[in-house]
Amino acid sequence: MDAPEKNPSQLAGQTAHPTTESAVASAAAPELIGLVTHEDVDRARDRWEVARARWKGRTKTFGGIRLLWLLVGPGVLVFLGENDAPSMLSYSADGSRYGVGFFIPFVVLTFIMGFIVQEMTVRLGAVTHRGHAELIFDRFGKFWGFFSMGDLIFGNFLTLVTEFIGVRAGLGFFGVRPVIAVGGALVIVMAAITTGRYWTWERITLSLAIFNGLFIPAAILARPDWHAVGHAMLTWMPFPGGSRYEILLLILATTGATVTPWMLFFQQSAVVDKGMQPRDINAGRFDTLLGALLASVFAIAAILATVPLFHHGINAADFQAAQFAEALEPLIGHTGAALFALGIFEAGIVAAIAISTSSAYAFGEVMQIGHSLNRPLREAWPFYLTLFGSACAAAALVLMPRFPLEFVVLTVNVIAVLAMPPALAFLLLLVNDPEVMGEHVNGFWANVAGVTVTVLLIIAGLGFGLATVFPKWLGG
Amino acid sequence: MDSHHADISENQGALASPDVAVDVKSEQLSLQDPRAVLSLLEADQVVAAKRRTHFGRKNLSSGTKALLWGLRFYVVAMLVIVLISVYQAVHAAH
Repeated sequence: MDAPEKNPSQLAGQTAHPTTESAVASAAAPELIGLVTHEDVDRARDRWEVARARWKGRTKTFGGIRLLWLLVGPGVLVFLGENDAPSMLSYSADGSRYGVGFFIPFVVLTFIMGFIVQEMTVRLGAVTHRGHAELIFDRFGKFWGFFSMGDLIFGNFLTLVTEFIGVRAGLGFFGVRPVIAVGGALVIVMAAITTGRYWTWERITLSLAIFNGLFIPAAILARPDWHAVGHAMLTWMPFPGGSRYEILLLILATTGATVTPWMLFFQQSAVVDKGMQPRDINAGRFDTLLGALLASVFAIAAILATVPLFHHGINAADFQAAQFAEALEPLIGHTGAALFALGIFEAGIVAAIAISTSSAYAFGEVMQIGHSLNRPLREAWPFYLTLFGSACAAAALVLMPRFPLEFVVLTVNVIAVLAMPPALAFLLLLVNDPEVMGEHVNGFWANVAGVTVTVLLIIAGLGFGLATVFPKWLGG
Repeated sequence: MDSHHADISENQGALASPDVAVDVKSEQLSLQDPRAVLSLLEADQVVAAKRRTHFGRKNLSSGTKALLWGLRFYVVAMLVIVLISVYQAVHAAH
């Protein structure tokens, strides 16, 4: 099926534009017939399943459920992937230091912000069939493209390091040696990515991601005061006391636990690799909403699971993952602590897969090489080398003695939220571009929401900056 | 077009011709014919088409350029502040 490429007579130099025209009905069809690749065949097979489910959904009561099952994926993965090790630790820090209160509804707010942003990437991917990095390079040129890529690669690498820290710490609770924990995680990452089919990779990663829900039984075992939880959701009270500088830092870290640049690149590329089309946008919105909902519930569970530390006056300010589990054990039992530790391990694994995939997608798009999980290893080895190589490099740093892991964990979520405004600026420019989006360009309220999120993130960042440079202003 | 053939495209005028349409009623799918593959994808989903076509460069207004540069300086300044913050935190711990 992979025919040698012919001289590009019809296609060369053409400007892309949003289209829903079937490839077989297009003017370039005679040329494309000889250029169909393995990747096209796999994607067409996935599209056939969707078309079949869409046809069946017309005649059966629950037919639409299969269609949703087929189209759910990128949105759930991006949000559950963002509930990664440093994020779950941020939520745990919220619960252990401030108990039930402000941070519970605040987490819900951050996921609403995340949904607003991620929904735009669904539309961009489904309409343009191009990844985020590729679109930035196309529309804004190499200069801005490399700046965006630089932010992404730098942030992704730091985050990957923290994922393996989480893996190491999570399994460390069970006495697993670091080299075995980290090596085992790399084997899982390798197994997930070398399936040669996007669909298979997606289902494997989703199966792992759903274990983010382990924080729910851990939270139940912590026996939270549900009346206080309901009160906090409605009133945002009590507001945390103590150092305002530390509160601001935690607000920033909690925001960075939900809204980060890699999510934009990952979800858009995953939507493209999945083969989604404009008619799938509503399903993509549902997928994104489902992901945000699940992730916010699991995040709140992580907060509630560590509230007993707050009630017992245990100072968890400098706790890492294993220390949280060890401190929780006498309070919520060995089972609860074990579930917490396993949840941190899961958070690290799934995020390691998703984040290294987002780096590989962006690299492939920019370098114009094959960048699809539908391609076998031998065809797209640079893509897979980037994906697995970044994971290996991060894992190696975690195993190095005397590497300043604490430095990385302290900064990664804060750096993520600080790097968001430029990423959001490019996203808003693209999604408001009629040459790119056609009829799916942003509406007024979508722009209001998107600009509001961007402004809030800039204000949060500036507040952090002022608090750092002039700590006495906030009693730091 | 029979109702059991996939309505692949939003554009009614661009439906696959009957001799290459894929039958969604059938349990089996054969993609040996590349036209069947093309009938299931949009024109710019095909890898070869994507490689050869690109969205052109957008003309940025001076205001947009100023915004992008401003945000770039914001990120660089914030990274410096993060480094200061971490240095202070590590210094205080020791």
